[in-house]
Amino acid sequence: MLASSATLLAAAGAATALTGCAGPNPLAGPPPLAHDVREVFGAIAAEEALIDTYNRAIARYSGLSGQLALLLADHRAHLARLRAHIIEPAGHRLAVPPGHGAALPGSGSATMTMLASAERSAASACLRRLGAVPAATAQLFASIAASEATHAQALTSQVPA
Amino acid sequence: MTGLRARRATSNDAGAVTALQAALAAEHAAVYGYGVAGAQLSGSAQHDALRYWSEHQKARDTLTAMIAAHGATPVAAQAAYDVPFTVHDSGAARRLAARLEDGVARAYLALVAEQSLREYAAKAMQPPAERAAFWRGTTTAFPGFP
Repeated sequence: MLASSATLLAAAGAATALTGCAGPNPLAGPPPLAHDVREVFGAIAAEEALIDTYNRAIARYSGLSGQLALLLADHRAHLARLRAHIIEPAGHRLAVPPGHGAALPGSGSATMTMLASAERSAASACLRRLGAVPAATAQLFASIAASEATHAQALTSQVPA
Repeated sequence: MTGLRARRATSNDAGAVTALQAALAAEHAAVYGYGVAGAQLSGSAQHDALRYWSEHQKARDTLTAMIAAHGATPVAAQAAYDVPFTVHDSGAARRLAARLEDGVARAYLALVAEQSLREYAAKAMQPPAERAAFWRGTTTAFPGFP
């Protein structure tokens, strides 16, 4: 007679307790992500959200597509390099749901203002990720933050200070 | 700069000082280069160039103080710099200004690798990136990277 699954699981736990095994528990799921990996995942999610917002803005306000498409291209480049920066650890898949970007305002000009604010927020978020990541990752974050700062400037047609 | 006390440089500071010196060298070049570019600009563009020249002088002074605080001698500006192309009109002046800002952004990006200076460097590279985009008329995906 075959043992039930519950019996097998209980036996595995008991055997572990008896032998004092110090290795990873194969039943406990994947280990937690390292801090720097979580930061890269966070940056990827942020870029996905911005790309989603830009795509919807271009779809709704076709008159803005010329300018927004250039900035969108930068964000796609950011995402590609971030994804190339890391191999998703086993058991952890970054799944960003569609339509998760910011809601669009009711006019093109308000949308430009909203996007500029989103770019500044994204740049600030990148700077907050700098602290405990390797140097190469920090440089990538810093460069992306600088790119997003230039986007905010372009969206508001500001002359730099 | 008040509040900064010079201290003897240690081996741990060597990397930071080297990177700070490179950033200072880039700022020296920008101060010089804006003089060349500004001569070919007029109106609001010349006014902008003058403002950015002043910003680079301030950044130069900040880096000079930081290097001195590490107990090192700040690298001096050269008497003259080779301009990469002839600047004979406003278009060339804008291209030179963008190139100068790219160089400054690149130097600060290198400084980001120094843990102790990371936040300062990351913030410091944003203004040159913005100015480069302004002069060039377009943004780039990765300021500071080649």
